[in-house]
Amino acid sequence: MIGYTVSRLLQAIPILFLVSLFAFGMIYLIPGDAATVIGGPEASAADLEEIRQNMGLNEPFYLQITSFYTNLFQGDLGKSLMLGTPVLDAIIDRTPITLGISIYSLSITIIFGLVTGIIAALNHNKLLDQIATLFALIGISLPNFWLALILIVLFSVHLGWFPTGGYVAFSESPIGWLKTTTMPAVALALLQAGLLTRITRSTMLEVLSQDYIRTARAKGLSEWVVVGQHALANVMMPVVTVLGLILSVLLSGSIVIEVIYNIPGLGSLMGNAILSRDFPLVQGGLISIAASLLFLNIVVDVLYFWLDPRIRIKSRD
Amino acid sequence: MKQPNARLILRSSIAAGLIFAAGSASAEGQFECPVVGGELIVAVESGIPTLDQQTTSAGATRNVAMNIFEALITRDADMNPVPDLATSFDVSDDGLRYTFHLREGVTFHNGKPMTSADVAASFDRYREIGGNRSNLDAVEKWEMPDDNTFVLVLKHPQATFIENLSTYTVPIVIMPSEEAAKGVGEIDIIGTGPFKYVEFVPDSHVLLERFDDYVPTAVMETNSGFGGYKQACVDSVRFRMITETGARMAALETGEVHIATAVPAISKKRLAALDGVELASRLQGLSMGYPNFSNAPTDNLKVRQAMAAAINAEEIADAASDGEFQLQGAFQYPSQAYYSEAGLDMYNQNNPEKARALLKEAGYNNEPVILLATQQFQWSYNAALVMSEQLKAAGFNVELSVLDWPTALATSRDADGAWNFFFTVWTSTVQQGGPIALRGFADPNNVFTPPNNKGPAEMNEIFDRVENSATLEERVAAFGEGQKYALENVLGIPFGVLKSTEGLRSEVKGFKSFTNVQVSNIWIEQ
Repeated sequence: MIGYTVSRLLQAIPILFLVSLFAFGMIYLIPGDAATVIGGPEASAADLEEIRQNMGLNEPFYLQITSFYTNLFQGDLGKSLMLGTPVLDAIIDRTPITLGISIYSLSITIIFGLVTGIIAALNHNKLLDQIATLFALIGISLPNFWLALILIVLFSVHLGWFPTGGYVAFSESPIGWLKTTTMPAVALALLQAGLLTRITRSTMLEVLSQDYIRTARAKGLSEWVVVGQHALANVMMPVVTVLGLILSVLLSGSIVIEVIYNIPGLGSLMGNAILSRDFPLVQGGLISIAASLLFLNIVVDVLYFWLDPRIRIKSRD
Repeated sequence: MKQPNARLILRSSIAAGLIFAAGSASAEGQFECPVVGGELIVAVESGIPTLDQQTTSAGATRNVAMNIFEALITRDADMNPVPDLATSFDVSDDGLRYTFHLREGVTFHNGKPMTSADVAASFDRYREIGGNRSNLDAVEKWEMPDDNTFVLVLKHPQATFIENLSTYTVPIVIMPSEEAAKGVGEIDIIGTGPFKYVEFVPDSHVLLERFDDYVPTAVMETNSGFGGYKQACVDSVRFRMITETGARMAALETGEVHIATAVPAISKKRLAALDGVELASRLQGLSMGYPNFSNAPTDNLKVRQAMAAAINAEEIADAASDGEFQLQGAFQYPSQAYYSEAGLDMYNQNNPEKARALLKEAGYNNEPVILLATQQFQWSYNAALVMSEQLKAAGFNVELSVLDWPTALATSRDADGAWNFFFTVWTSTVQQGGPIALRGFADPNNVFTPPNNKGPAEMNEIFDRVENSATLEERVAAFGEGQKYALENVLGIPFGVLKSTEGLRSEVKGFKSFTNVQVSNIWIEQ
């Protein structure tokens, strides 16, 4: 298992290199520089030149790429043009916020998706199945930015249960954290929960029709043991695959959700960095996000290894 | 301040110095906070990039930072220069020495007394890295004869020097000398204003609290624009960056915020009907556009004049603003000293027949006219859609190029870029007076990208007189000529003035709608 993990980690290195090269190159192909955004339409030519000089945007390309990689290998992702702080610091500051909301959202997704998926499968073609399928369909069909606004209107403006936005750190007040993160987490989770419901339902239906389930039932095992132990263990494989994907979608979905809910996370950081052409921040963010997604995928692969004895045996061969 | 006063102030720097000195004598009946205490929460529509006020022209920064920092001279509500950290100034007979007398007893937020050495260090920093450092081009050096006197020595007399010095785009704010030695974005946020800095969480909020040792200027009885007699009535102010319009309006509706900027027209009716919410509107900026002089067919005067003839500015301004606009073709507001009606027969012509005739005269051969816009701003995209239909009706072959804002902005600065007409809003450009309003039509700042960046000699000659004529009368007359030239030769096409609306909770009192969010002299009724 250690050998497997190491080989997967080594495979990640060329991928990360390609991502960094892409991050560096792409940003130069996009027209519009940070100076024009900062200066705005009313800035004079002299103003723009002054801004460019202040930011070091006038340096030649080869100098910029050399210093980019020299710094990258030293763990220095540069300095954000907008914030004036090191990119790494900005990312480290913001990551716990986004990660917290993503995990909260993932928990909602898993609980809602797995439970409704299983209930739907066990009540195949009955009313409960149809209700669960309908909810899943609604979840998949609603764009999360729209849902985010509807949640604000319903739960903030009309019912007054949650604030319209803002963020309170968990360490400051766990209740404040729950109040400020529940609506964003739900807005992010519903689409994914819908997907997970459908996948769980179809996988569960497939598993339930297998011979070994019939055998288990024939042996007189209780339905709880049949479903909870024998069926669920085999449903987990595709579900784990999807969970890796879901977490990456949650991270990217946070760009829109964090802007709407005024949350200073990684999503709003990246969104603003792109709109304001903050090159170092976009590059640093892209590399960090790519690295964390790669890491997640490796974790999922290792989880397979642990969950599925067949992979273990194959790799031993 | 009313127009006659504005004219007086602007008449000459020497006269202005006298008025400032006289103003300091009438320091009675000053504003007092009826209620003190509470936290004022303001929801602003843009992210605040930095609080280093000397280095950015971002309005979002100014909204916050101009409550922390102060400048020697600033602008009042009518955009006239008024003293702030200087109580008055004198100008030598040759117009080369400006002697500023500093407000006495002022301390920074860190408790250090402010002296001319801090002013000098702040000017040093601005000359090095300031966002509008070309404003100091006319200055040869500065001197500090004593702690309360600061002298600017000019290379040559400049009639509009005080206007330039007081521009608010990137104001020359004063900070402690030890901070002034630091680079872009590296300073600790320490000023002399009525509020001091507590916390800045990017993409979330900025928190300020009252500076108890604030010594206000005595030249006015209350605050006006960026200047005047400022008092912090609330204990603290929290600026929350809520960029999503729907969320910002919801926060106002639930009372989570006291003030919300940029209320969209679509929400106004609903918000106005709510108990506890009030709306305040003001003129925001001139919606306009300009052609590209380097690309066919807009390099042809007759084609440009045909565009101007075809345009129904009222329809465009209506669409650009959701009906919240005021017709205006002048590059100054009627309340401003430089206002002129010269050339306005070219504005809002709505005459497709004339346009067709001009196109025929121009030998127009159905070349595409590319309108460059962005969907990020309604004033850009909607204006482009309506203008496109108007031009088509007059016989133009129109193409729309819709890009994201940074790309559109960068393209519009490229003479060879794929564009013929670009949409913008001139806010500070129009507000800050004649020379700045026409700056974009003269070398080297031509917005209409003429070949080799050499604009028409006639316009440059007029602009030189707008900037450098000795008296205000001469400069105002030159401004009228410049506006006429710009409209007749279609260096730009104005559509109308867009309005901006702020929403506020009714417990907020003393609010004055201004281009910058004001949090001084505002109190919260319990």
